[in-house]
Amino acid sequence: MAADQGGRLRLVASAPGPDVGPGSAGGDPIGATGRSTDRRRRPLFAAVPALVWMLLFFVLPLVVFAIYSVLTAGLYEVSTPLTLDPYRDAITDPLNRTLARNSVIVGVATATVCIAVGLPVAYWLRFAAGRWRLAVLFLITASMFASYLVRIYAWRSVLGSEGIINSGLVSLGLIDEPLSFLLYNRGAVVIALVHIFLPFVVLVLYAAMTPMSDGLLEAGRDLGAGSVMLWRRVVMPIMAAPCWNAFVFVFILSAADYVTPQFLGGREGTTLGVRIQAAFISVGNWPLAAATSFLMLGGFVLLHLAGSFVLRRLRLNDLRLAT
Amino acid sequence: MNERRQSSPVTAVFVVVSLVFLFVPLLVVVLFSFNSIGSLSLPFRGFSLRWYRQVFESPVFRSSLRSSAIVATATAVSTLILGTLAAYALSRARTRWRAPLALVLFLPLTLPGLFIGLSLLVLFGEAEVSLSLTTVAIAHLVYVMPYFLLIAVAALQRLDPALEEAGADLGANGWLVFTRVTLPQVWPVLMGATFLAFALSFDEFVITFFVIGPESTLPMFIFSSLRRTVDPSINAISTLLLAITLALFAGSFYLTLRGGRRSVIAVTGETGSA
Amino acid sequence: MTVDVTPTVGEARVDVVDVTRRFGDVQALDRVSLTIGQGEFLTLLGPSGCGKSTLLRIIGGFDRPTSGSVRLSGRDVTNQPAYKRSVNMVFQRPTLFPHLDVAGNVAFGPRIAGSGGGRAQVRARVDEALAMVRLSGYQDRRSHELSGGQMQRVALARAIVNRPDVLLLDEPLSALDLTIRLEMEEELRRLHREVGGTFIYVTHDQREALALSDRVAVFDAGRVEQVGTPDDIYHRPATSFVARLVGDANVVAVDAESTDGPHACVRIGDRSIAVDGDTRGPAWLVVKPENVRVRATTDGVIRNGDHLTGTVADVSFRGTGFSYRIAVAGLTELVKAEVTGERPLPVGDEVTIGWTSSAASLLARPATRS
Repeated sequence: MAADQGGRLRLVASAPGPDVGPGSAGGDPIGATGRSTDRRRRPLFAAVPALVWMLLFFVLPLVVFAIYSVLTAGLYEVSTPLTLDPYRDAITDPLNRTLARNSVIVGVATATVCIAVGLPVAYWLRFAAGRWRLAVLFLITASMFASYLVRIYAWRSVLGSEGIINSGLVSLGLIDEPLSFLLYNRGAVVIALVHIFLPFVVLVLYAAMTPMSDGLLEAGRDLGAGSVMLWRRVVMPIMAAPCWNAFVFVFILSAADYVTPQFLGGREGTTLGVRIQAAFISVGNWPLAAATSFLMLGGFVLLHLAGSFVLRRLRLNDLRLAT
Repeated sequence: MNERRQSSPVTAVFVVVSLVFLFVPLLVVVLFSFNSIGSLSLPFRGFSLRWYRQVFESPVFRSSLRSSAIVATATAVSTLILGTLAAYALSRARTRWRAPLALVLFLPLTLPGLFIGLSLLVLFGEAEVSLSLTTVAIAHLVYVMPYFLLIAVAALQRLDPALEEAGADLGANGWLVFTRVTLPQVWPVLMGATFLAFALSFDEFVITFFVIGPESTLPMFIFSSLRRTVDPSINAISTLLLAITLALFAGSFYLTLRGGRRSVIAVTGETGSA
Repeated sequence: MTVDVTPTVGEARVDVVDVTRRFGDVQALDRVSLTIGQGEFLTLLGPSGCGKSTLLRIIGGFDRPTSGSVRLSGRDVTNQPAYKRSVNMVFQRPTLFPHLDVAGNVAFGPRIAGSGGGRAQVRARVDEALAMVRLSGYQDRRSHELSGGQMQRVALARAIVNRPDVLLLDEPLSALDLTIRLEMEEELRRLHREVGGTFIYVTHDQREALALSDRVAVFDAGRVEQVGTPDDIYHRPATSFVARLVGDANVVAVDAESTDGPHACVRIGDRSIAVDGDTRGPAWLVVKPENVRVRATTDGVIRNGDHLTGTVADVSFRGTGFSYRIAVAGLTELVKAEVTGERPLPVGDEVTIGWTSSAASLLARPATRS
């Protein structure tokens, strides 16, 4: 369904169809009439309702939220003296440090596992699936649509002391007591998040692989590359940008997740997102929640920029494959 | 597509493991929703529909189901209208304003629901708007719009521009070309995207948690059930929710595929048959 | 009072006045002026990228010129968008609306115009238009059930049902197989005879242009090289470009020297050849391949009109005869010859080639352009 985020924005930003040359109906850059740019700009107005909506209910709230992050905190209220206290508190709080670390670990682990598993699956779909491709694609797409909460519940049940793993092992006589380490830790959180994001990653990577012609790999083999070499020299460079974009996407959404850690993380596996939500709803310290949120967002943006920078340096960021 | 299949037992293992990993937990829930005793531990005691009966008789369940349906319908309809117009703009405009427009419209995709929800809660608070299903629908529209646009913009871009030129040649102005030439080509895909919008809204929890008022949607209902002690009917509710969203997505999938094939024919003039 | 709504094409006169079209740095059309007369079938001929399609699209209203104007029956329509112009176009690729059947496609224009006079009348117009392109009975078919040729015929019907003042055709046959193409050419000629309107046709196929048109305008790099009847273009090309394009002539750069008589004299290699014509000085020698006679030199006898010796570089079978490429001393390009006969001269043989002096012509060769 969806392509990775970086790819998506690029897809949209570079319109097909020439800006110059025959075939652009109604184009006339330096017309005798002077009203030339009208026709090219006019279709944009159709987007006004959606744009207004987004500005009002997406951009504006974030702006207000950002303002909250520099206001003085009261109990379930904010007041004017502008201050950087919320940011200072957020940064210096030692619990935040731990939670931030947890968030990063969870995010990195989830994203890594998704990519590590998603790549081979995508490869199989693209090159080795044969007549099974459609069936497996359908299954994976279908699994993507299973409800978010149901997944969390399902894993809590499966990993719990009454769950099928434990009850199965007990009834088989392999263990006497249920294993407690399966649940209420970071690992469980990661497992559930991988369950949520893996289908998406598979589809994104598969979509990125489809332009690779079969001939590409065969040419590599013909030139003497074994499977490992093929991966290192041919597949990975092409897939570097899509993999990175998918990684960032999953990382951000996993690190900020606040529901999964609540149910599966226990004390050890709780993350920053949980605390932000609690700070706002339960504790009532709005500026702190806002400040922590924007610090988190800042981290995400930095991550994204750093990655783009690296990719651009390695000149892997915009490979167009001739099909 | 070239069908020279290469054998790769290693990746095939990954595929099998992934499929098992993805489906087994869900199947467990479905299976145990029919368990006559309310536990998730083996062995399976007996087949029974009592949990489903319990669920359907619960008034809270029924009202949350209704609320979810109402919100999802409102979201789907407004997404269809605003989204189709926006997709038209994105796919047809050729100025440099296009990129910033696209940025604003697509950005909610990568912003975690936590922040979207919190910031909306703040906005509603400042504007002294009381929380209700309406605020939920407002939030859902923001969340769902980029997904709709992804599909709709791609479909509109795939269209052969020559068809629209032909329409203009035959006397249709911009609006008529859109309604009589463009829309008839893409409406299956747009319907599919609308289904997707409905399903996404129906299942949404992360943002809803912040902006909902006294009513409850189905995911909120499940959430509060999860927080309490284990209630065996959760299996049944979960299975129901799975079935609903899966059915919606199947419908969306089918419509999008069917629409896609149509536009291929339109573009190439080829049919593959004589 | 009844209004005539028979499908047809009007006989508007089209004036292209000094039209220039720039795309950024690219000059697609350079001060082109052209008049298409009433009821004329005029073809814009030229290789890809020469600007012919651009001009057609400007006439059709899909593009606006950077400067210059277009007049339809004397009225300036330069700024009129396509949907307002009483001009209709048949596009290169089938552009039938896939969501409508054949009747729906043909009825599209009348329905938009709203002046159909009721559903029954629209249907009658559709039936007539389909009858004109010999597709009666195809009303309910969908575009994916039609062959390429049939689709283009529906496109034609869809255009003429609107009674446009001018019919534009943008390489409508180039996507079709050869046999279908020849059939469709006949259809177009017949249609033009029956309906008699102003047709403006674009193609890169010179054979097609010569077969269909009343007049041909040859384009190169945004400029009109020559406008004339097919006969003019073929037998009396005005520039070397036209000579090369139409009829694939041999075009050689020479110096035409005066002689005592009415002929000029040119040197090729170590030979002097007499050529008819008034041109003197730097010139192009133009000889059509079908006028070049080829003879094996083993014959030995010098005949009238023999000019040059050379060796056969390539021979290919043409059905009615053979096509030769001959390497001649003093010439950088191979000489093309089309000869009837039954037995080819093999590659490597020494041959003598020649032509009658009236079969060759001279064109002035300006110093700057090649």
